[in-house]
Amino acid sequence: MPVPVRLEKYIETEKQRHFSRDFMVGWENYETWEQATVGDSGPAMRTFKISEEDIVAYNRACGETDPLMIDPDFARKNSPTGAVLQHPIFVTTIGFYSLGEKGIGTWIRTPGARNPHQRIEILEPFRDGEVITTTVTTTDKFVQRKKPYLQMLLDFRNESGVLKARWWCSLILPETQADVARFANA
Amino acid sequence: MSDPTFSTINAGYEFPPVVQSYAQAVIDRYALGSLDMNPVHTNEEWASRAKVFGMPETVGHGMMTMSTLASVVTRAWGVVGENGGSIRFVDAKFTKPVKVGETVTATGKVKRKHHYGPGKNWVQIAVEAKDSTGDLIGLAELGYNLPD
Repeated sequence: MPVPVRLEKYIETEKQRHFSRDFMVGWENYETWEQATVGDSGPAMRTFKISEEDIVAYNRACGETDPLMIDPDFARKNSPTGAVLQHPIFVTTIGFYSLGEKGIGTWIRTPGARNPHQRIEILEPFRDGEVITTTVTTTDKFVQRKKPYLQMLLDFRNESGVLKARWWCSLILPETQADVARFANA
Repeated sequence: MSDPTFSTINAGYEFPPVVQSYAQAVIDRYALGSLDMNPVHTNEEWASRAKVFGMPETVGHGMMTMSTLASVVTRAWGVVGENGGSIRFVDAKFTKPVKVGETVTATGKVKRKHHYGPGKNWVQIAVEAKDSTGDLIGLAELGYNLPD
């Protein structure tokens, strides 16, 4: 699928440069609502090495202007943590990068998905240079008012095994691969 | 207030509102910042054919709405406060897609104080966001750790 060229002007980080901006590449491999099984669990496709530029890019995308959140030099001298502060919803970037295009939880990329509810818990801030491993567990699957809901828990741990954050991610999805295809081929 | 404490904050405390543009350029930047490149947010031609939300247009990210909701608290008290406060959770529901070009206003109020003892106290904050027509587009409960 052609991706609007105008998006390139917002590229600020190494990960953004290399991340596929075409959400439809390999959509046939994404896990579907029909295929997902509650209790399935495993590591996400990629690890995520935290860098200041990832945090700053997310903060700026949220409209933040506080120098503690967008100016790493200022933040290193003045922040309560001695580092640039991250917006609490920054785990979104880690999740989308880490889940990739294959395996459990790739339904987060489903064309036609709708977002009803999300919960994020922050246990401690991510640190520049930490390598974050994401564990994905399918936690719930049901139909309510004829809408297929799927939920997973993403646990984010650093290289020492310290749990940094948790994200309960819920979406309303097209039910079958044929249903997804109708959106992918629209 | 940049240095709130558990003893000085009470239920009913109101946060300054956050006003956020959902212009396509803002949504585009959010797509790159979050790596959520779903075309329902960035590709007008595809969105007009797919009509995911029954509308032939792109919409803002739900996670961007969640970020706006959280910013009501973090812009007032800090993601990590100068006196040791910190955000502990954000639990958000989305009630209406945000059309491109909208201006969203989010407001928040301390709902409940949770007494767990020195160093463990936190407050529960209710936040909601409305579009320019006054329709509710999302709401959230946030937990924030406060020093005594």
